[in-house]
Amino acid sequence: MRLKHMAIIIGVAYGIMAVLPIFVGDIRFIMNIMIMCLIWAVVASCWDVMMGFAGIFSFGQVAFFVMGAYCSGILAIEYHVTPVVSILIAGLFTAGMGVLVGLPCLKLAGPYVALVTFGVHMALQPTLRGEIGLALGSGGSVGLLTIPPISIFGYTFSSANIVPTFYLTLFVSLTCALIIMFVIKSYWGVAFLALKDSQEFAMSLGISAFKYKLMVFALTSFLTGIIGAYYGHFYGVLSFRMLDMDLFSILMVMMLVGGLGHFPGAILGAFLVVAGSELMAPLGAYRAVTMGALVVILVLALPNGIVGPFLKRSANRSPTG
Amino acid sequence: MFSEDTILLFYEITDVIIAGLSTGSVYALMAVGMTLVYGVTKAFNFAYGDFFNMGGYFAWILIFGIGFQFGGYLAVLLIVLPLMFAVGYGLEKLMIAPLRKRADWENKVMMLTLGLALFLSSLYTVVFGVKMKSLPPILEGTLEVGQLVFGYQDIMIFVMSLGGILLFGWLLNNTRTGMAVKAVAQNPIGAKIVGIPKERIFAATFAISTVMVGFGGILLSQKWFINPMSGGTIMIKAWVVTALGGMGSIRGGLYAAFIIGMLEAFVGWLFGMSYGIIALFILLLATLALRPQGLMGKGE
Amino acid sequence: MLTVNNLNAYYGESHVLKDVSIAVKEGEVVVMLGPNGHGKSTLLKSICGLVDKKDGKITYQNRDINGLATEKLVDLGVIYISENRELFPYMTVLENLKLGAYTKNARPHEKENLERVFALFPRLVERRKQFASTMSGGEARMLAVARGLMSNPDFLCIDEPSLGLQPSLRHEIFSTIKQINEQGKTVLLVEQNIPQIAQLADRIYVMEEGQISFEGNKDEALNNEHLKEIFLGM
Repeated sequence: MRLKHMAIIIGVAYGIMAVLPIFVGDIRFIMNIMIMCLIWAVVASCWDVMMGFAGIFSFGQVAFFVMGAYCSGILAIEYHVTPVVSILIAGLFTAGMGVLVGLPCLKLAGPYVALVTFGVHMALQPTLRGEIGLALGSGGSVGLLTIPPISIFGYTFSSANIVPTFYLTLFVSLTCALIIMFVIKSYWGVAFLALKDSQEFAMSLGISAFKYKLMVFALTSFLTGIIGAYYGHFYGVLSFRMLDMDLFSILMVMMLVGGLGHFPGAILGAFLVVAGSELMAPLGAYRAVTMGALVVILVLALPNGIVGPFLKRSANRSPTG
Repeated sequence: MFSEDTILLFYEITDVIIAGLSTGSVYALMAVGMTLVYGVTKAFNFAYGDFFNMGGYFAWILIFGIGFQFGGYLAVLLIVLPLMFAVGYGLEKLMIAPLRKRADWENKVMMLTLGLALFLSSLYTVVFGVKMKSLPPILEGTLEVGQLVFGYQDIMIFVMSLGGILLFGWLLNNTRTGMAVKAVAQNPIGAKIVGIPKERIFAATFAISTVMVGFGGILLSQKWFINPMSGGTIMIKAWVVTALGGMGSIRGGLYAAFIIGMLEAFVGWLFGMSYGIIALFILLLATLALRPQGLMGKGE
Repeated sequence: MLTVNNLNAYYGESHVLKDVSIAVKEGEVVVMLGPNGHGKSTLLKSICGLVDKKDGKITYQNRDINGLATEKLVDLGVIYISENRELFPYMTVLENLKLGAYTKNARPHEKENLERVFALFPRLVERRKQFASTMSGGEARMLAVARGLMSNPDFLCIDEPSLGLQPSLRHEIFSTIKQINEQGKTVLLVEQNIPQIAQLADRIYVMEEGQISFEGNKDEALNNEHLKEIFLGM
């Protein structure tokens, strides 16, 4: 997808978001949903860049999100670090974890990466819940309950001032989206397309698959960690239940709806799915069932998601950026 | 000659070994199924663990839900196993085959089966409730050999799994379809040239693996509980076994299954059951780091 | 027996065969020559259902076969023998051969075809319990042809049988193909430009750049200046 189209889609989507508070600013419920949209948009986009764009089949995105959230939360609670700083530290920490996980993964083929990262995800839950977690301050099965909100120059961004908090979220989310957009369209991006089309040829040109893939791990984990931390400071509570398959599958649906590998489809996917999910809330226990069925149907029916019409004709045979 | 304690220890270890053998044999069933599908069709089924549970749940419905009385376990198997075959065959034809034509199809299959896994686990939770279920043992009681006491349950599980694997091996080497499966695995182009209908073989292979894992589910559900959300863990276990043995190698899968069955039994005995998964994970990482192609590497 | 009319074939965006038309009469040996990479293999593969993107008419015994799956074509008696042989490496020679007789029409003739194949390729008899991956180049080539015969075909599409073989083995395989033809099978052969080929062929086509540039019998071929270049100036 061309840079122009990407920018237009992002501009319109965020633009609409920016304007909505004028109409619904006092409906707390809707504002909350919109904030969630913005947060998940970043996570979904990062995951999309990993899987769809860089072709690294990682299932660890949620784990990184949770790591960032917990890191910042613990720093803020146990060590009294100001949220803004702790968020940044959490981002760097998560980036480091990303590299750590990435290093062994990069030698492996498709299903192996998926399973190792999935294993990380599965191993994270008992770790946070168990003794190791408690020692680190994760709150074990109870989780973190008292994460302080972000305050800049004395102004506190919390659900009490939902509209300014919304705009802060919009700013953070948009920044992340723009970073991703520029990375995709930069030299990195071209390198990745080359790697995906033909790894041997690209490597013979001097493009190091290893280096680039590791950088993708680092960048996406960094952004995911940051937004995870942000999430923690907004909500104030964290629990290991975030690692349940619910979140995992919802994010997957977001990417599929938006179009895997076709940034910024994931952003649109996130907005649509969060809204849709709220509408499905009355389904209760059946929501997960529906979610699963949706993934299956989406993979079959919508190979390129919502952004299909914006793509060049050859997109159906092999994904382009 | 030996002290009381040593003798008791000996009995305990024998128990652990038998437990390891019986779970190992079920893992072998599952590993063979998974490696077969991957070797032949290159598709990876994330919902594998949920098919394991499906076998258990189908059996449960027959025994407790409907109150099936006659024929005992044999009848249950005769009904559930063909059902699993049909489910597997239908699934492959309807959901996986269409994806093969697309770019990136291996990834798409992984995602589809992931969605399927979520669908199935939440469906189980809704239909059967969160409480864990278990099946009655095929044979109760114990066998006493001198001073040693063996539970029939473990023996039956071991015997039946082994039987299943041997039957599978026989089918693979002595039937036309079995040979065709091997052919597709070894050279898909060659298979096409001799006129083997690849799509049908893919579906049949997938169906066979579904039967095997469902069978495993029925067997192990007597011993352990069926937990509706356990699909993911079970799939990971099956995958670790398969990867350790080498994706695509049936013999490797067999060796690896018993190694892991024993490892789990001993770790559980020495440190407690919850460390089982961590031990597996460590083993997995070690394998990927040292010998990524597993014990027996490619081919077979 | 087989006619191809106005066939166009594509690999991805690349237009490999351009409006190709050929005909093969029953009982003939027709040889297709031409520089490498100009589409000869693609033509064989298109006939045998191994190329996805194509349009044009392909008829076999007055029946339209364009678009039929390879397994149906094998059943009808049209088989493809690949220049890559495509054997089953971890199965024995005998198993490979038996798999050749997989289709419904081939199965009843398995025994007689096995005897016929062993008579044509005596070297395979000694090797029959060996894994296909252990065979030498020439033996593997023979196995590929033998396996093709097990499918009980009437029409064989053979792709570069002499590829990678020493001259002595080439002679052997060509004479075996001649024998197969004498047993009643029609052969469409794609080959590199080798003088020996002229002995084998009833008619010759030459393909250059995806199009037929020459059609004629072997006398006409030998008298053609342009072809002489190709033949001798390899």
